[in-house]
Amino acid sequence: MDHGAHRAAAKDGTQVTSYIIRRLLLAIPTLFGVLVVTFLLLYIAPGDPVQEMVGERADSATIARLRKELRLDEPVLSQFTHYAGGVLRGDLGTSYITRRPILSDVLERFPKTLLLAGTAMLFASITGILIGVLSAQHPGGWFDRISLGGAYLGISFPVYWVGLLLILLFAVTLHWLPPSGYGGIRHLILPALALGTRSVAFLARVTRSAMLDVLNSDFVRTARAKGLSERAVVLKHGLRNALIPVITVLGLDFGYYLTGSILTETIFSWPGLGRYVVNAISRRDLPAIQGSVLFLSVIFVLVNLLTDLAYAKADKRVNL
Amino acid sequence: MPDRRTLIDSRDNYDPRSLDPALSTDVPTGRAVSYVFDGLTRFTPKAAVVPDLATSWELASDGITYTFHLRDGVRFHDGTSFSASDVRHSWERVLDPATKGGRGWPLYPIRGAQEFAAGKAPSISGLKVVDDSTIQITLTEPFAIFPKMLAMPATAIVPKVTPPDFGEHPIGTGPWKFVAWHHDDYLLFARNMQYHDGAPLADSLEARIIPELSTAEAEFQAGNVDVLQVPAQESPSWESNEETRPLLQSAPSLRLIYGAINTTRGPLRDVRVRQAINLAVDRGMILRRLMGGRGTLAAGVIPPSLDGFNPSLAAYPYDTARARALLKDAGYPNGIDLELWTSQSEQFPRIAQTIQAYLAQVGIRVKIVQRDASSMREAARNGKTDIALKDWYADYPDAENFLYPLLHSNNRGVGGNVSFFSNATFDSVVSRARREPDDQKRFALYREADSLAHEQAPMLFMFFYTELYAVQPWLKGFTVPSIFTGERWTTAHIERPPKTAPK
Repeated sequence: MDHGAHRAAAKDGTQVTSYIIRRLLLAIPTLFGVLVVTFLLLYIAPGDPVQEMVGERADSATIARLRKELRLDEPVLSQFTHYAGGVLRGDLGTSYITRRPILSDVLERFPKTLLLAGTAMLFASITGILIGVLSAQHPGGWFDRISLGGAYLGISFPVYWVGLLLILLFAVTLHWLPPSGYGGIRHLILPALALGTRSVAFLARVTRSAMLDVLNSDFVRTARAKGLSERAVVLKHGLRNALIPVITVLGLDFGYYLTGSILTETIFSWPGLGRYVVNAISRRDLPAIQGSVLFLSVIFVLVNLLTDLAYAKADKRVNL
Repeated sequence: MPDRRTLIDSRDNYDPRSLDPALSTDVPTGRAVSYVFDGLTRFTPKAAVVPDLATSWELASDGITYTFHLRDGVRFHDGTSFSASDVRHSWERVLDPATKGGRGWPLYPIRGAQEFAAGKAPSISGLKVVDDSTIQITLTEPFAIFPKMLAMPATAIVPKVTPPDFGEHPIGTGPWKFVAWHHDDYLLFARNMQYHDGAPLADSLEARIIPELSTAEAEFQAGNVDVLQVPAQESPSWESNEETRPLLQSAPSLRLIYGAINTTRGPLRDVRVRQAINLAVDRGMILRRLMGGRGTLAAGVIPPSLDGFNPSLAAYPYDTARARALLKDAGYPNGIDLELWTSQSEQFPRIAQTIQAYLAQVGIRVKIVQRDASSMREAARNGKTDIALKDWYADYPDAENFLYPLLHSNNRGVGGNVSFFSNATFDSVVSRARREPDDQKRFALYREADSLAHEQAPMLFMFFYTELYAVQPWLKGFTVPSIFTGERWTTAHIERPPKTAPK
């Protein structure tokens, strides 16, 4: 590498870094907005956290005392400043219900959700892209038709229904895998399949159409004309260029994985963040809901950033 | 037959709050607390109250001073000895505002307890440690059923030293030692070989947390869990199936399903309107069709298995003609408009729709308001509901636990009386019953109060539920409990196949 190339690479590096910093700074107002909106929504939502704390039978003296201790009797602005102040210091607060710190609760569960979502995504990407590439080889052929039909079914089936079918078939009838719970890889397979199914279908369709676009373009004709093998054309020129829309879908789908995981976690008794949030909502555990939403927003911001960086990696023409 | 020495429960459908007795306000928490901890008394599966850490007690002639004699030689799971001062410490901890538990009321009958809870007294004046194995408890007024409340999870005994993470690593004197808690996944307990009433028969106990009923069913069918609580709407299919029928066991539970009629709202202030509502709904049909027949019709609020139940008090019949006549008498010949609130859980929405259809027959136009449990509870407690369809599980097996919280005017709103029923005669009968030391006289007062409740109709009386469990054929020594903390799995075990010589 000569001197000039060195400089160009360094310049690229600085550009990427400054892009990342810019994006992270832009994330601050976004996250603040999330904080405000969540707080206000929960403030006006019906249901009372203190009544959830005390259970079915209580006395008004206890309720009044708890309300005061939790600052729930203060004006909304002062409640918000107190909460936001804690968040700035990295303190997401303590659960009203369990009396445990929210952050450690969230950090205990998030890796499990990530493991499930990651496995489902991996399964979906490999299967979906493979099916898409193969379908694009002979559009209208038997494989393409079967995969199209399969994709429609896959997109239409709700995740809880797929989940229950998988449990009935593989756990109850065949006894191959455990029906639910968290543990080794055997526990991971069914929920990941259930969560990934919709995405496989979607990714297969997107990959197929992107591949068809690319394979019909001029530069691919040129590549074929210069005598490259079909395999090299498809993999090197076709797939690489078809990846952009696929990455977009994967990035967008990440949100689906995190929210879709609520249902999957419930069906498969998977101890992830989705169930934590659902539980927190049903018990009106305000700090737990706020903390989880904020945490997930941070994850979303990071994933969007990674998606954009991945574009640039896949396509040199994308300017950061 | 499973080759495991761990008993596995599938009943918890959400993660416990904590394993700290002071925070036990929900079912999974209470159940786990009852494994690890003991109270001065405890419940049997059939919901009787028997001595536990206390071996006996006597009541002085003043009717308010109890002397509890405590069991000698009991040790906590960490090896420290249990003594009378642990009792005082445990109860101060439950009431201490710093605990933020919210479950102080079972101890409020003790003199000075409420002052201590409000931060106005440094200790509970009615608690006196006489010696290591004797504690004297003075109440504010006679309250004959007080020893029953000491079997509730909230009043269980904890050691003097409780670290901040005690709720995550509990130490008690109970039959099971805490081993691990994987949140939203499972709780694991190992048997306490030193348990004062004899070590449990099984090595360990796992309480799985399974939010979805169909998943719990699959786990049961796969043989991975030992018991399954079958909900009412599923019971017909379990009962009609040749393979599953022999696995079913049932027990009357201390659970009342009812519609709380807010007696302070509009036409509902008129007792005739409330009676008309009771007459207009065919509860028998709802019980058979929507609840798989799992229960008995309620005439009042006292379940048939409790003393004070009056078998000659008949439930309101289904009589639309009388209902219409009563409405006309009350001045509503053209009927009335009502909001019926229901949560989304179990069969409640379908029951609500059926009630709506029945009431329409007599000209009562019902709008159903369906909300999540938390929103509905808040609305009902704030008096915003006309009728709130709900249920009530007993905390301790006594008629008082239905009459007092649900209908005494002291408990309007957050105390449990969301009918906002306030009837001087009823209040005085129930208050007298609470103070009455003589069992038979107290039961007579309970019957009197229940008849009054029936007649005043502050509820749409529905039914007392009968619990249905599926129990694996290999599980022995397990009894379906009538109260949720009644079965502590001490005699439960997995039956081993007879040893055969290797081939």
